[in-house]
Amino acid sequence: MSPQLKILALVLTAPLALVVGLLTGTLPQDPALASQILWDLRAPRVAAAFACGGLLALAGALMQTLFRNPLAEPYLLGVSGGAGLLALLGMAAGMAWPWVSLLAFGGSLLALALAALFGRRLLARDHTPLLLAGVMLAAGFGALIALVLSLAPAEQLPGMLFFLMGDLTWVQNPAGLGAALILALGVALLLARRLDVLQLSPLKAASLGVAVLPTRWALFALSGACTALVVAQAGSIGFVGLMVPHALRRLGLTAHRDLLPAAALAGGSLLVLADALARILIAPRELPVGVLTALLGVPLMLWLLRRPYT
Amino acid sequence: METGLPTLCAQQLSLRSHAHALVDALDLSVEAGEVLGILGQNGAGKSTLLTALAGLAAPATGQVTLNGHGLLMLPPLTRAQHIGLLPQSDEGGFFGNVSEFVSLGRYPFQHAPWDLMSHLITWELIELAHRSLVTLSGGERQRVRLAQLSAQAPQYYLLDEPLTHLDPAHQARLLNWTRAEAEAGKSVVLTLHDPNWAAGQCDRLLFLFGDGRWQIGPPQALLNPTSLEALYGAGTASLWLTRR
Repeated sequence: MSPQLKILALVLTAPLALVVGLLTGTLPQDPALASQILWDLRAPRVAAAFACGGLLALAGALMQTLFRNPLAEPYLLGVSGGAGLLALLGMAAGMAWPWVSLLAFGGSLLALALAALFGRRLLARDHTPLLLAGVMLAAGFGALIALVLSLAPAEQLPGMLFFLMGDLTWVQNPAGLGAALILALGVALLLARRLDVLQLSPLKAASLGVAVLPTRWALFALSGACTALVVAQAGSIGFVGLMVPHALRRLGLTAHRDLLPAAALAGGSLLVLADALARILIAPRELPVGVLTALLGVPLMLWLLRRPYT
Repeated sequence: METGLPTLCAQQLSLRSHAHALVDALDLSVEAGEVLGILGQNGAGKSTLLTALAGLAAPATGQVTLNGHGLLMLPPLTRAQHIGLLPQSDEGGFFGNVSEFVSLGRYPFQHAPWDLMSHLITWELIELAHRSLVTLSGGERQRVRLAQLSAQAPQYYLLDEPLTHLDPAHQARLLNWTRAEAEAGKSVVLTLHDPNWAAGQCDRLLFLFGDGRWQIGPPQALLNPTSLEALYGAGTASLWLTRR
């Protein structure tokens, strides 16, 4: 199957996933109330889930190219740790949602700034310093998060855990997230051919005329911005950013002009479906969607890894 | 040069590794149609020199010019249209197949037409065209990298140990290709460790002694037991010259 056909299949899957997301769950008998729930509550959440999933998968694809490593993922540089720490501190101080979200966004940007500050040396030739800085920061944030969790009052723990595992309950502004997805995908597609070349070593890419350092910083900023936007609204939803681009590459979508739109579509559809399951599995209670992405993702990933390279 | 082709020159080029001089004040003009071999011990600065000639590293002093313009000042794409580099390894993070890898060589030319098939034929890659790079052997991968460079088709080919991993048949293929490119007016600069190959295939040789000293000349002038032992150390000349 050609890459175009695979992308077409994903384009057709996306509205299907959105409809499934919209129709999953019970609705009251009263048509007026049902319509209100469907369009005022469920539709924004489904749309936001799609945008978040798309942004995460796109960010993951960009990170994997930046680090030339299929294990790279959006949270590699400590973005989720920075966001989680500040959001939890906000919750512990009794702050309400929009402020917690803003704190989380600030925390992601702080983590990115620290990673850039400590890792900027030698990014042109070697990305190891940036990678190590990011991994160290993530570890540090993880320890601080554990500290906050151990000191926080018990009744705040569920909310904190949901944020850390990723949860779409509180997502606001799906239109903004959708616009961000389209914008980020557009910018990334402008770089697509250059990103193909950047998969080669920095020296080889430079010899082919790619301005390696500016392109790498653009990748860092773009994937960081996508991730920070999602984390601020939905916490650290795991696995989508790691698995979706990796799986698409295994399915033969390796050129970035194919991979990037496919990642946005597949990541969006996957998160919509995972969120639908998260809402109904133990209804009326909800599961954090991050648990579902991992539960769906791990077997799929293991199955893909069994396929031999051709 | 009177041919009107762009000329690649090193002028008073000095290269260092940390505080240690590798090459001092090298003057070199790469001629059209020549194959120039660079020989020297490990760490003598062969790869560093190729990188500087490619305009990808700033020298300690001096400069490399293309048609009189400093290479480091040229727009990257313009530079890549004239100079191609084969580094020792570069395919680590590539997830696609052989055809896609070879096609990346055309990046500097954006949409200019070219013929993928002819490069796959030259490097015997037709049957591997749709294989993923991770499934290839070392020698196959080296041919894929050479095909990517031949697709770029620059005026100046800078090859860092192109013989690596190649079996004798494919070394011969590389040799034919190098000759054909040189006869078409291209210039080939390559690093290598085999004085026999250098004697047979290179028009000029550049010896790097690793301490700043260098020597340039035709193979028949440079390849003798004395100069080889000066380059590689006592007792090394017998390794090769017994065959001559």
